Amino acid sequence: MGILDAIQTGLTELLSHKMRSMLTMLGVIFGVAAVIAMVSIGEGAKQEALDQIKQMGIDVIHIRRASITGELANRAEERSPFGLKASDARIIDEVCTFAQMVVPTREVFADVKVGEKPVSVKIVGTTSGYLSVSKSELQSGRFLRDKDIHDHLSVCVLGAAAKRELFGFDDPIGKMVKANNRLFRVVGLIKPKEIGSAKAFSTMRDLNSDIYIPINVSETDFKIASQQAVPSDVIMLQRIAQKLMSKQSPENSSLSEVIVQLDSEEATGPAASIIRSILNRTHRGIRDYEIIIPAELLKQSQATQRIFNIVMAAIAGISLLVGGIGIMNIMLATVTQRTREIGVRRCIGATRWDIVRQFMLEALVITCMGGLIGIVAGVGGAKLISDFAGWRTMVSMQAIIVSFGVSALVGVVFGMYPAVRAAMVDPIEALRYA
Amino acid sequence: MALIEVQDLKKTYKIGTVEVPALNGVTFKVEYGEFVAIMGPSGSGKSTLMNLIGCLDRPTGGKFILDGSDASKLTDAARAEVRNRKIGFVFQSFNLLPKMSAFKNAMLPMMYSSQRRDPKRVREALESVGLGHRFHHTPMQLSGGEQQRVAVARALVNDPPVIFGDEPTGNLDSATGVEIMAIFQRLNNEGKTVIIVTHEPDIAQHAKRILRFRDGLLESDEQVEEQLIAVPRPRE
Repeated sequence: MGILDAIQTGLTELLSHKMRSMLTMLGVIFGVAAVIAMVSIGEGAKQEALDQIKQMGIDVIHIRRASITGELANRAEERSPFGLKASDARIIDEVCTFAQMVVPTREVFADVKVGEKPVSVKIVGTTSGYLSVSKSELQSGRFLRDKDIHDHLSVCVLGAAAKRELFGFDDPIGKMVKANNRLFRVVGLIKPKEIGSAKAFSTMRDLNSDIYIPINVSETDFKIASQQAVPSDVIMLQRIAQKLMSKQSPENSSLSEVIVQLDSEEATGPAASIIRSILNRTHRGIRDYEIIIPAELLKQSQATQRIFNIVMAAIAGISLLVGGIGIMNIMLATVTQRTREIGVRRCIGATRWDIVRQFMLEALVITCMGGLIGIVAGVGGAKLISDFAGWRTMVSMQAIIVSFGVSALVGVVFGMYPAVRAAMVDPIEALRYA
Repeated sequence: MALIEVQDLKKTYKIGTVEVPALNGVTFKVEYGEFVAIMGPSGSGKSTLMNLIGCLDRPTGGKFILDGSDASKLTDAARAEVRNRKIGFVFQSFNLLPKMSAFKNAMLPMMYSSQRRDPKRVREALESVGLGHRFHHTPMQLSGGEQQRVAVARALVNDPPVIFGDEPTGNLDSATGVEIMAIFQRLNNEGKTVIIVTHEPDIAQHAKRILRFRDGLLESDEQVEEQLIAVPRPRE
């Protein structure tokens, strides 16, 4: 019997039991659809994480202040009272001669208003190198210059969202922004940065609503926007008294973040360990900072992705296994039900192999059709998820091919036993079978 | 050379540890172009013999030569080919595949043969049994007699030298039974060898020779003196 005849026979058989065929296929349909939808979500999340990490740049190291609490906080107050400091940035710059640039930032509390309406923007004091280390680009005007810092100029550069909040669609260059009763002249505008819908990393923040001012200006007029270590009440009072008495030198002024620009991605690992040992010494073992290496995060996220993929494959495997068992069950029932047909076919010249092939092809037709429907459902499901949940999804061709291949394989594996059972039927017995 | 040559053919079934003899050494020949009826009560071994010479089963002893080749020691696949090419089966309960049209049912043996499929040959076979107008009906839509005609067409489609009928009229009323016997007689007149198993003496009288079996042995082998000629009543 030709293969086309056998497939046609299989299809006829399936179509004559539409309900049963559909139910039999469901296991495979769900399995394949689940795999495709979940892999699409995973791929989307991975892509998002990659984009975000790439936005940070993989050839940089971020050192951020970290708030610490409890018993550690008291010790932090004693040993390293100012957290991440300007002196840290200076030492890193001096020791890490291999670093292209070391850029400090201060995110500060500020009261920015348009008319009487408060606006949610963030003022960040920084230096001229920030534009390049933050992988941002200028839309118009210029970024902060060394001269602005040297001269303590009240100038600012707006992020895209900040500009929209403050000036709408007007050209902001040359206009004034009032923050904490001080006026800043807008000298530049930064291109919008794509931030993605979901933040993959807590270290990411939306740079679009930043307003950049010279770092020394931010030191004199603004307080840093961060919870410094919170000691117990009594110690806190003592510390406050001490702090008020000792005049705060620029060397001790707190920083939010120090960004170190390196030559390449490979340099981040060694550089990070050097920086870690420097800070460990200057902070006397108090970890009131965290070192973020985007290249490392990238590796981690890839490792996580691998685990996710393995879990995915396991779930898919189980659901396809269950689907396969369902198919085997139905095929066994079918073989019993069609014993007489098998007898007739054998009697008029079908070999055992013809019978095996016929039933295998029927199982294969079920799983392949299930696989196809599953692919459609999976792609549709991924689309629905991205439409309604707003997650980014990416339908991967690989997932489609693999899951279809696996469903075909399920057909072969689970169709085998019933098909062999069918072929072993004795034609004489089968013809007598009512 | 005879079409079928059976020498001391034996078959013993094993049920558990007990051996049940069904055929105790049978010897006979059937020449090309004969019309033989095999008769006997239940348990006489006639069904066993039918299974053996139909290449559905293997003998436990003796020799069986079909169309010049020893068919008693063939492999399963080789026996399937013999059934496909050399034998046309017609059963008591028709045994058509219920989901297929008459045409497809009749074509089925071609699908298992290495020959090229020939729809013209199928059409001719169906027309020769008087079913020229019902190609696309399923067995459910056909009467018993019509179903049996489809079965005969199926048996003819690969043009085998011999047609085996296992109680071919057993499920039919007598008038329809006569119609089927008329077809068998016509095929026999056209040169086909026909062998039928039956327990109805009337039906057996349509053959030219009757083999009677009892207790696994050939009891008698006689030519029919007055062969009944089946004349189907004209249909209104």
